[in-house]
Amino acid sequence: MSSDREAVAEPASGGSAPTALPDEAWVTALATLDQMGSARLGALLAESTPETAWDRVVHGGLRASAGPALHRALGPQREAVLRRWREQAQRTDVTALWRRHVDRRVGVAIAGSAAYPAAFAGDPEPPAIVFSVGDPDVIAGPRVAVVGTRDCTRYGYDLAHRLGAELADAGVRIVSGLALGIDGAAHAGALEAGGAPPIAVVGCGLDRPYPARNAALWRRVARAGVVLSEYPLGSPPLAWHFPSRNRLIAALADLVVVVESQEVGGSMLTVDCAITRGVDVMAVPGPVTAPASAGTNRLLSEGRGVVRDAVDVLVALGLSGGGRRSPQDRRPPPDPGDGRVLDAFDWQPATLDHLVLRTGLALLDLTVALDRLVEGGWIEQRGGWFERVARPGG
Amino acid sequence: MLATVPSASLFGVEGHAVTVEVHVSNGLPGFTIVGSPDAVCREARDRVRAALLSSRLTWPRRRITVNLAPSELRKGGAALDLAMALAVLVADEQLDAAAIRSMAFVGELGLDGTLRPVVGALPLVDALTEPTVVVPPGSLVEARLVGRHHVRTAETLAQLVAVLRGDEPWPDIYPDPAPPDLPPPIDLSDVHGQPLARQALEVAAAGGHHLLLIGPPGAGKTMLAQRLPGLLPPLDDELALQTTRVHSAGGVRLPPGGLVRRAPFRAPHHGASSVALIGGGAGHLRPGEISLANGGVLFLDEMGEFAVDVLDSLRTPLEEGVVRVSRASARVEFPARFVLVGAMNPCPCGEALRPGSCRCSDAALLRYSRRLSGPLLDRFDLRIEVLPADPHELLHAPPGESSAAVAERIADVRRRALERGVAANALLHGRHLEDAAPLSGEAATFLEHALRRGVLSARGLRRVRCVALTLQDLQGLDPPLGVRAVSLAMHLRVEPRFLSRRLAG
Repeated sequence: MSSDREAVAEPASGGSAPTALPDEAWVTALATLDQMGSARLGALLAESTPETAWDRVVHGGLRASAGPALHRALGPQREAVLRRWREQAQRTDVTALWRRHVDRRVGVAIAGSAAYPAAFAGDPEPPAIVFSVGDPDVIAGPRVAVVGTRDCTRYGYDLAHRLGAELADAGVRIVSGLALGIDGAAHAGALEAGGAPPIAVVGCGLDRPYPARNAALWRRVARAGVVLSEYPLGSPPLAWHFPSRNRLIAALADLVVVVESQEVGGSMLTVDCAITRGVDVMAVPGPVTAPASAGTNRLLSEGRGVVRDAVDVLVALGLSGGGRRSPQDRRPPPDPGDGRVLDAFDWQPATLDHLVLRTGLALLDLTVALDRLVEGGWIEQRGGWFERVARPGG
Repeated sequence: MLATVPSASLFGVEGHAVTVEVHVSNGLPGFTIVGSPDAVCREARDRVRAALLSSRLTWPRRRITVNLAPSELRKGGAALDLAMALAVLVADEQLDAAAIRSMAFVGELGLDGTLRPVVGALPLVDALTEPTVVVPPGSLVEARLVGRHHVRTAETLAQLVAVLRGDEPWPDIYPDPAPPDLPPPIDLSDVHGQPLARQALEVAAAGGHHLLLIGPPGAGKTMLAQRLPGLLPPLDDELALQTTRVHSAGGVRLPPGGLVRRAPFRAPHHGASSVALIGGGAGHLRPGEISLANGGVLFLDEMGEFAVDVLDSLRTPLEEGVVRVSRASARVEFPARFVLVGAMNPCPCGEALRPGSCRCSDAALLRYSRRLSGPLLDRFDLRIEVLPADPHELLHAPPGESSAAVAERIADVRRRALERGVAANALLHGRHLEDAAPLSGEAATFLEHALRRGVLSARGLRRVRCVALTLQDLQGLDPPLGVRAVSLAMHLRVEPRFLSRRLAG
């Protein structure tokens, strides 16, 4: 810290920090600056070496020399951005920052280095730097992105889970974003199957799992596969990080499967990124009345491939499907009375009102039957809603 | 010369007897009011003077001092006007003191000498011990509710003075023609389908359980809530008088008979301040919406939009059935025993008709869930999701049971509660509840399982038992509680969807 303070006091001495730092350290430092996206970072590094670029940020040398590409990347607010960067950079201890990444065993790969994932090398919007926890080598191999809405139905959750498990079992790496809902379900399935290693791309620093409720899943993915991020340790999950994260998911995937998505949303952004990159998109059909399937059904109506199970995906990838397997259902069958209540369910969420209407039962008789079905793993309750559970074993 | 006239002043919902003393002496002409009058009360000098002059009486061109005793009591409002005017007349010897012996006066004066009705006539008159009370015609009905006094009235000050001088008999004034009766409470048979909501309303009315309705706009939450007062039993004599006093003091128009018999329905807007809801305010402390809802229903629509501290101030009254408003100068207690009905959207985007359609970010959901504190949420024994009625049901289903039919069952349940020593099952607590609601073996096993799975808390268990008791009362079944009642009670108390989490990995 003190060496940096001196640098501020004595601008002439320039870059007084120990010079033994690798290029990765300077790019990491640049990546910590506010509003530093991959476009700006790329433009900055196209003009000069990482260390010089940092030096120019610290000493305000950018204003004079910015080339046209950087000028464009900085946008109309460039004066304010540069001032902000300068203030921030002068407070930053690059050595300590780098130390933290090394100590935490965070893999750091900058564009052009040997460690840089090949999948990003030819991308139209390549990340300038990729941080990783876990084993980045697992990226090599067939990869399918399984994505979808955070607010999914039980139907979507179960399907994503099963797809994750069956694809991983067939040796396909599941790429996803560790969000709630479909993302998490796909990875949870992949981990349960114990097959191919999972790959996650996240929108914040690798030391702050987000959302917190998926923190355990995040650690399991890092242990079994790899978690990637464009953002240095300590970066918060800012809203603009996520569209950018979605483009990396599309860039990594050989195929994108959307399980459930509303008409607009993050998953549809991933789809757009995939289409620009020539990556195939497939979708799981849902009821035409279901809001959670509005986006996926539209993709299907536009002629995208239909995913009914893992075999459909494997066939699209040109991998052998090994035939359709129907998983063993280990749940004890419900008694005939409860079975009639179960039959009143389609694969969409239903409330007590719906079920009274469909079964003709009185509330007092209906709820005890539902309780038994929940107990048996056939039904799940969320708030006042009931959903049929497809996944055997719960 | 000195004159004293009894009157009363309102504080909170209580009337307090006040003696108006007027002293008229030689000296520089003037008019002074002492004895803690508030601004409205102090303005009486101008009203009283103008009223006297308009009534062709003489305003003494002397030094007039009015004292309102006891002087430490703060006096608000214009109810003392009439007493002051008469005291001035007596002190100035325009009226014989004997003419007003054993009489108390309550009323506001118009500049033309008209006697205008006052807020809180019922508690004001109740505070008086004189055998005869004179009130404005507009307050006659309320004043007679007390039943202890000979209540007299006159249209104007001039008329009153003429009567008191013995020039005229007391006028035969009948109360204003009764305003048309309030429309009959809206009926439950208007609700088509929605069996769960109907059941919840019935339980809420039968057991006095607070009810939270969670549903998207257009699901009929308000419509359902409005039907609750029609299911509640009419107020008994004591509660009716208590509620009428509050309404009188709160300046709410009373029903034609004067007495509030029908369960009130109050629905304050979500912009309501804590004072408007709880009571208080400058000067004489006014009852808030929760007290105006005494004996009836307090409906808070868009509950998530109320200020958090305003909502939290409901907690103590909900627990105790009274609200104590304390200010530096004073402290009053208002009754506040009501059934709380809250309505909320399932989430801020309002699109969440069902799981899988919500567009809220997790952060927005989290913020929304914090708007209702856990302790407040705990007060709701009944929490259900309400959806718009099924279109087919809406058009083709035969009308459901009418309010009258349901109210009969409810009256039955209330009778059972009275036998247990409470007005409603929701008021059963602790030992009392355990004695009243023993569990059958099957129900005990069922609940133990729910507790172990963590879907039920210890507090939740007590509330579920209480609701199950009401459910079983509604069927006319005696305890012990069966598993069906316990199961339905749990389904009537679901975790709101903004709290029930999205599916994680």
